[in-house]
Amino acid sequence: MSSFIEFQHVTFAYETEGEQPKPVLHDFSLSVEKGDFVAILGHNGCGKSTVAKLCNGIEIPQSGCVMVDGLDTKVEDNLLAIRQRVGIVFQNPDNQIVATIVEDDVAFGPENLGVEPKEIRRRVDEALKDVGMYDHRFAEPHKLSGGQKQRVAIAGIIAMQPACIVLDEPTAMLDPRGRKDVMKTVQMLNREFGITVLFITHYMDEAAKANRVIVMDKGSILLDGVPRDVFQQCDTLRKAGLDVPQATSLAQLLKQDGVSLPGKILTVEELAEQLAAVLH
Amino acid sequence: MLNDITIGQYYKTDSPVHRMDARMKLILTVLFIVIIFLCKNFFSLSVMFLLTAVSILLSKVPFRMFFKSLKPIVPIILITAVLNIFYIKKGMTLLSFWVITITTGGLYTAFFMAVRIICLIMASSLLTYTTVPTLLTDAIERLLSPLKVFHISVHTLAMMMTLALRFIPTLIEEIDRITNAQKARGADFESGKFLDRVRAMIPVLIPLFVSAFRRAYELSFAMTCRCYHGGDGRTRMKQMKFSAADFLALGVFLAALAGVIVLNYFFTALI
Repeated sequence: MSSFIEFQHVTFAYETEGEQPKPVLHDFSLSVEKGDFVAILGHNGCGKSTVAKLCNGIEIPQSGCVMVDGLDTKVEDNLLAIRQRVGIVFQNPDNQIVATIVEDDVAFGPENLGVEPKEIRRRVDEALKDVGMYDHRFAEPHKLSGGQKQRVAIAGIIAMQPACIVLDEPTAMLDPRGRKDVMKTVQMLNREFGITVLFITHYMDEAAKANRVIVMDKGSILLDGVPRDVFQQCDTLRKAGLDVPQATSLAQLLKQDGVSLPGKILTVEELAEQLAAVLH
Repeated sequence: MLNDITIGQYYKTDSPVHRMDARMKLILTVLFIVIIFLCKNFFSLSVMFLLTAVSILLSKVPFRMFFKSLKPIVPIILITAVLNIFYIKKGMTLLSFWVITITTGGLYTAFFMAVRIICLIMASSLLTYTTVPTLLTDAIERLLSPLKVFHISVHTLAMMMTLALRFIPTLIEEIDRITNAQKARGADFESGKFLDRVRAMIPVLIPLFVSAFRRAYELSFAMTCRCYHGGDGRTRMKQMKFSAADFLALGVFLAALAGVIVLNYFFTALI
């Protein structure tokens, strides 16, 4: 596996008039492997959305550089190629749908890339089938539920055939069912098509499904590893303003009281299993 | 209530007129307006009236829809009719009373004008009843694309129109949400004098504008992410193609044009 997106000592600050710019990211380095499923966790204002916007050159770092598939986001001529490789799905599905009919919206990306009409048709149909929205292809977006709209937005990105999808809190505005559907779709894209996923969220249970979890705080990386290891660091997580999965938290309390639970516990099922083993 | 907003006034059904190419419908509507202003007497006008009637029947759009679109125009029709009756003094005098003189010429002209306006409204409503707004903006973009020569970016204008149409339902939903939120905080929208009620809208309009700007900002990011870079090098999934029926309709309209010119020549002009 080779690294697909690489942040090299990135420093970034939003320009505000009259004020001294406060750096959001400071000497930030991160490398994401091709085909990986990485979750970025963090409290509000920790810079995780900025990471998303840096990934395809919507924002350019003040110092350091971001490389995507060997292309530097600072070079203007690279941008179209970079954006075709890295698609971003934003939080509010309403603000990223451009057309009044679902299939027209999915076609928007490939149309911008100048793809042949017949090929666009094929990609649109395929993308809609992949996210399970093919039956709604003639629907008007404002008549869909939040989860359905977000899946349409994802279809709009995969119709461009990117190698990587960055999702910036895609489930924050959705109901539990919509969240589940979106999560399932993203996992499927990662597993079946090998699309690299960078999933930004503040939901623990969603981050737990990733291969690698990165916890951010105040513009730098606090923890980085597989979910099972990261979530054992209860105190560090709480200091960063994050919750700990309930099962892990309970297991930790039980251990403090002298119950011997051997493994690293992440889900309710695992906890139940281990407790049953101890009690017998 | 919010789930059945239809954008524009598209009437959904399947008819030969609905299936026609939007570009041809646009061309024919413009052609229709030109021809109807060429009509000089009742014989040529009746050709256009017949053409309107046949098009409406073919469109399968119910008559009540057309009456609905005529309703706001009724005062205009009445005023022009009254003015024509009183001011045109031609032909036989029917009534002479004080300063008012009504002549047959005045009555004919009034009737002629009324029919002409009605036909105009019907024809343009037919276009919007049978064509989805986005297809219409699409058609405008394609028809006007030669204006590129004069450095007019038709694509940008069409994109703006499409986005405006797209966000109408979203913003209506937002108004509803903000209104409810302000009501919950005790805002009163129903009582008071007219000015009070206008003033009561301010707490709705300000959040609406703020949110509209935020939406525009986020939308521009999303569009950039989907490789939008203007109209250059852009392709379209849905290609527009003229069918045999489109050319047949064009033929009929051109025949009507020829008919109108011939009838104008052979019969005396009314106006």
